[in-house]
Amino acid sequence: MSRRFDVVVVGAGPAGSTAAYTLAKKGFKVLLLERGRVAGSKNMFGGRVYFKPLEEIYPNLLKDAPIQRWVVKERFSLSAGDTMLSLEYESGEKKSFICYLSELAAWMAKQAEEVGSFLVTEIVVDGFVLRDGFVKGVKIGSEVVESNVVIDCEGVNRLLLERLGLVKELEVDQVALGVKETLRIPSREIESRFGLSEKDGLSWILLGDFTKGLPGGAFLYTNTDAVSLGLVLMLKSAYSLKEHISSLLENLRLHPLLSRYLKESSIVEYSAHLIPEGSRLMLKHPYSDGLLIAGDAAGYLLNLGYTYRGVDFAAYSGYLAAQAYEKAHTEGDFSKRGLAWYEHLLRQSFVLKQMLKFRKLSKLLDDEALFSKYPKMLCDVVKALLAFDYEVPSLIEALKRSKKDVSWLKLLVDGFRVMRSI
Amino acid sequence: MRLEDILINNVWDVDYEPHIVVNSEKCVECDRKPCINLCPAGCFTLLGDKIVFSYEGCLECGTCRVVCHQGVVSWNYPVSGKGIHYRFG
Repeated sequence: MSRRFDVVVVGAGPAGSTAAYTLAKKGFKVLLLERGRVAGSKNMFGGRVYFKPLEEIYPNLLKDAPIQRWVVKERFSLSAGDTMLSLEYESGEKKSFICYLSELAAWMAKQAEEVGSFLVTEIVVDGFVLRDGFVKGVKIGSEVVESNVVIDCEGVNRLLLERLGLVKELEVDQVALGVKETLRIPSREIESRFGLSEKDGLSWILLGDFTKGLPGGAFLYTNTDAVSLGLVLMLKSAYSLKEHISSLLENLRLHPLLSRYLKESSIVEYSAHLIPEGSRLMLKHPYSDGLLIAGDAAGYLLNLGYTYRGVDFAAYSGYLAAQAYEKAHTEGDFSKRGLAWYEHLLRQSFVLKQMLKFRKLSKLLDDEALFSKYPKMLCDVVKALLAFDYEVPSLIEALKRSKKDVSWLKLLVDGFRVMRSI
Repeated sequence: MRLEDILINNVWDVDYEPHIVVNSEKCVECDRKPCINLCPAGCFTLLGDKIVFSYEGCLECGTCRVVCHQGVVSWNYPVSGKGIHYRFG
């Protein structure tokens, strides 16, 4: 395979396929390499995609893409013991859909192929071809594929970038661990249990004792005839976990307040993936001589605590990397300086604007007290106000009783911190 | 439910060669052994004070390489399309 390409893209996930699609559409000769048996077979996420940025790239997205259900209902819950406090939002306005990333990534790779990218699967790239510090292609075993630029979309485990010496090995505070069970439930059952119409879906985020008070959360997304049920744990605090992570997920599935939604379901898949804690993994300059970096590898994923954005950020960064290549190609300069336009485009776009806007959030989402104490406190306050026999306490009494060892000042400070970061 | 009974629903094409090699001699010195509870596929198990690693059920998430501070996990991707094959990822 000693052919020459304008661009070699490593990884046919959302970032890689979108970069390849955009480049091939502009007439460039693109090789898209994927280590899985098919594109998407190594991809995994929770379940929801905000589609506006993707629609800008793929005009046929909403008509053609493998969408499971449209999110019309959002639920955000805090749990403590046998109590749960939920906030629900419903709207006819659709901003996101639920899908399997395996299917969506396969669809994107197909779009890239249809406009002329060469997709080759079952290929693990071993390293970059380097010449005078310039990335000039990729090495696959003993073979070499040359290109003007390599777009690295290898994902969160940045083996190639680590080998290149561009990034250090991943640290525990830079990633969270996501685990998910896909549970088969007939579509009509999903609709009646969750109160949904056909094709409509629920996105449900739960914080509290599902993670044993550890920073992280649980999620449930309704697919057409299955539910994606999962957990996210910040890896740094997950060290103190006293049981296997899969038993936390099992407890979630069997939880009295959840099990009625999940009865008579069968597990069809159990998956896991690392999630970049964006601001800590993010590269200051996601490019080098002959190299552009997009998607998880560049750290473009936003965890807001109540929702996640990864696929749209990844795809859009791939889209911008392709545009940066085009400019460098016109100018004939594939050096770091020539590719710096990528950073400019990122800064102009929602990707970097949003990442920078919420950069303080990582610290907040690390705070164990926030996950161990507050969900219970809030559940207790509401319980005191609603579940009484003779005398109902005043709000201030309920708060006082529930806050226990948390001082008013701490409460105020934390309240302010949450308001300021989100 | 046992983890094995959950994992059995997955589709794999297991390679003959392990893609992850664990030099478990050094694990004896590790007091926390985070890999045991945090590897989602339960690839790390304790036998006496020794870590036994099996790569077959690996989900290729990378958790072990991040949580192991003994530096004994030599981690790579399975070759030529081998390993986990997600259908609902």
